[in-house]
Amino acid sequence: MGVWHNIFAVTARELRIWKHRPIYLIGSIGVIAFCAIFFLTFFTDGLPSDLPIGIVDNDRSSLSRNFIQQLDATQIGKTVMYDDFEQARLAMQSGKITSICVIPEHMYADVSANRRPVFTYYLNSMYFVGGALAYKDILTMINLTNGAVQRQVLRAKGVNEREIMGRIRPIDVDTHQIGNVYTNYGYYLTNIILPAVLELVIIIVLIYSLGAEMKYEVSPELMRTAGGSILDAITGKLVLYTTLFTILGILIVTLLYHWMHFPIAGSIWYMIMAIFLMVLASEAIAIFIIGCLPVPRLALSIGALYSVLGFSLSGFTLPIEAMPAWIQGWSAAFPIRHYYLFYVQEVIFGAGFAGWWQEVVHLLLFVLLPLPILGRLKGAYVNLNFPKN
Amino acid sequence: MRKETYLKIWFHDFRGIWMHELRQIFSDWGVMLIFFVAGLIYPLLYNVIYLNGVLNDTPIAVVDDADCSVSRRYIRELDATREVSVEYRCTNMAEAEKLMQERKVKGIVMFPADFEDKLARMETATLSVYCDMSSFLYYKNALMATNHVMLDEIGHIQIERYAAAGFSGEEAAQLVQAVPYEENNPYNSAFSYSFFLISAILFLIIQQTMFYGMSLLVGTLREQNRSFASLPDKLSGIGIGRSVLGRGAAYWLVYMGISIYIAFIVPAIFGLPQRGAFGDMMVLLLFFVTDCVFFSMTWSTMVTRRETVFVLFLFMSPICLFLTGTSWPETAFPTFWRIFSYIFPSTFGCQAFINLNAAGGDLSSIQSQLGAMTIQTVVYYFLASAAIFAENRVLKISRARHQAPSSAQSL
Repeated sequence: MGVWHNIFAVTARELRIWKHRPIYLIGSIGVIAFCAIFFLTFFTDGLPSDLPIGIVDNDRSSLSRNFIQQLDATQIGKTVMYDDFEQARLAMQSGKITSICVIPEHMYADVSANRRPVFTYYLNSMYFVGGALAYKDILTMINLTNGAVQRQVLRAKGVNEREIMGRIRPIDVDTHQIGNVYTNYGYYLTNIILPAVLELVIIIVLIYSLGAEMKYEVSPELMRTAGGSILDAITGKLVLYTTLFTILGILIVTLLYHWMHFPIAGSIWYMIMAIFLMVLASEAIAIFIIGCLPVPRLALSIGALYSVLGFSLSGFTLPIEAMPAWIQGWSAAFPIRHYYLFYVQEVIFGAGFAGWWQEVVHLLLFVLLPLPILGRLKGAYVNLNFPKN
Repeated sequence: MRKETYLKIWFHDFRGIWMHELRQIFSDWGVMLIFFVAGLIYPLLYNVIYLNGVLNDTPIAVVDDADCSVSRRYIRELDATREVSVEYRCTNMAEAEKLMQERKVKGIVMFPADFEDKLARMETATLSVYCDMSSFLYYKNALMATNHVMLDEIGHIQIERYAAAGFSGEEAAQLVQAVPYEENNPYNSAFSYSFFLISAILFLIIQQTMFYGMSLLVGTLREQNRSFASLPDKLSGIGIGRSVLGRGAAYWLVYMGISIYIAFIVPAIFGLPQRGAFGDMMVLLLFFVTDCVFFSMTWSTMVTRRETVFVLFLFMSPICLFLTGTSWPETAFPTFWRIFSYIFPSTFGCQAFINLNAAGGDLSSIQSQLGAMTIQTVVYYFLASAAIFAENRVLKISRARHQAPSSAQSL
């Protein structure tokens, strides 16, 4: 009974703190709400369309105009005309266009005379998605142009239409995108970025909350409320924070897979479980950091450095295997990495328990992290013997 | 005569505030940690993480139900590409799917049984590629490899067929590829992930660390019931200009040093492209750092306590990265977020840095960004001045109300 009483007293105390200082709720609910709105509206197009592609038309024939019109009509591209290469190059260097097509002089005449004019294009892949898509678009168009020329010749030779197609395109590739059939960039990023933001919020807010006790020298009072038990004090606080963060996590999962209808092969309930485990693991990390370094400012700076790295080391953009070997191992130290691996199994492949049980074990292992440092944290709370700033 | 004394006083005050702020920076451990440890270590750390930047030899599985000369050649050529490596040959799709689910392969290429028959009948033979979309780089690799090999194979098959029909050599080549093309990808030829991302991150670090550091200092001063905005007492309320410029000069000085390190030394250590002329880069840094100083000064006034800047604004770093337009193209931004992106110096700074340093442009290629940063600098200068003015007003009123301001400090 005493234990429950202490825990409840700490929880009630924490609620009063929240009421007194809105930063805890702004820093969690506000941040998640802003990020959810940002990432769900920022990628509304899914795939960019009408990317500006620069054209230098040195031919000005019906063939080149036809090519430009076709390129302009693709969903991805939008042509921008330049008088000479100099101007187009400047536009590409200043990032206004991501690619340039140079149509050679006398292209039409050369094609008609079978002289094989060389078509040249330039890409600026420093603007990554734009560059890659423009590349794909131009490559498709130039191959279609070649096909069209071939078709003219074959028609003139009297080959029938069905056979023409087989001759122009003897092989075709039929692509199946598993887990994201629309190649939607927004689906791809938001699926992991929002949970990663949640991890960041949990670590920062919890370190701040635990650190503020020492900073404002009220931790002895906290310990008295908890009846001198650090376990009760932490549990009392965590009851409230776990509830808050779990609700946010469930909202994120529901938002993604239920309201926004992001494709999911498996079950949304397992994702809710996964995000709950990630919440627990992230909380454990926060307690571990402040316990190791009971200096609020330092702990927050370390927490900030750590949680920002999570975005990169979850491996959902540049895969972990492309990183240097000695960095790869570190990725295991981030709950978001395990959440990502869980997500791949459940959302992309729908593999179920057999696919992700290891990640559950890994996430649960994080929960043990605070145990060795609780004593140290208690010492700091009682004696306030660490620098406050 | 009068003017000269005014100038003299101005400079005297300016120097006083400047030196005072410098002392504040260098006597605060938290700020030093963010400016010098984060500002110097972060760029190195991100470079190490994204050091290779190119994903090579993505493992794929092959299911060859056709088992003909074309499919075998196709598989050999696939294996030879930089992008993928054929790790498994499976007898059926179920086996390959299992490998994919176990994440041993990131893609499956499947040749159907009728592949050869269709080729023989001169119909289009279709092969299927299944891509793991958990990372777009897997998808890009599988797609690029199969498409490049497909184009090459098409050329092969057509040449063979035309040869059978009595066309050979140049004549056949003309038919197969009437317009050959030449590809140039001068700034990032391997589509390296690190080049574009690191370039943006480097300039973002300058802006973010300056903002966090300055906010930390402002929060500290407010906690101690002093204000960042205190003007020289003898001026009784005027002298905002020298206060803003004096404080700004301190950060400006520190950050010109840090940003020279970030813009010149870090790329040199990691072999990132350095195509910009030194003079042009310095002009860019002058504009960008000045802009960041007033940006940070304006927004740091929102911070009331020392550590709250992390709680409130840390999540902005990834958002600012997207707002630079290096990954998601700027032309695809929704209008609201495009306007929102104009708040941050990093939006223009990162673009300008890429244009200069990677694309090797000169000042004319960053004209519009320099213009935008100038407008930002002017706007933020006035906003920072207004903030100091307002803070002074509040301070004066509160001082008038209670002689000794209460120090109610709680959680």
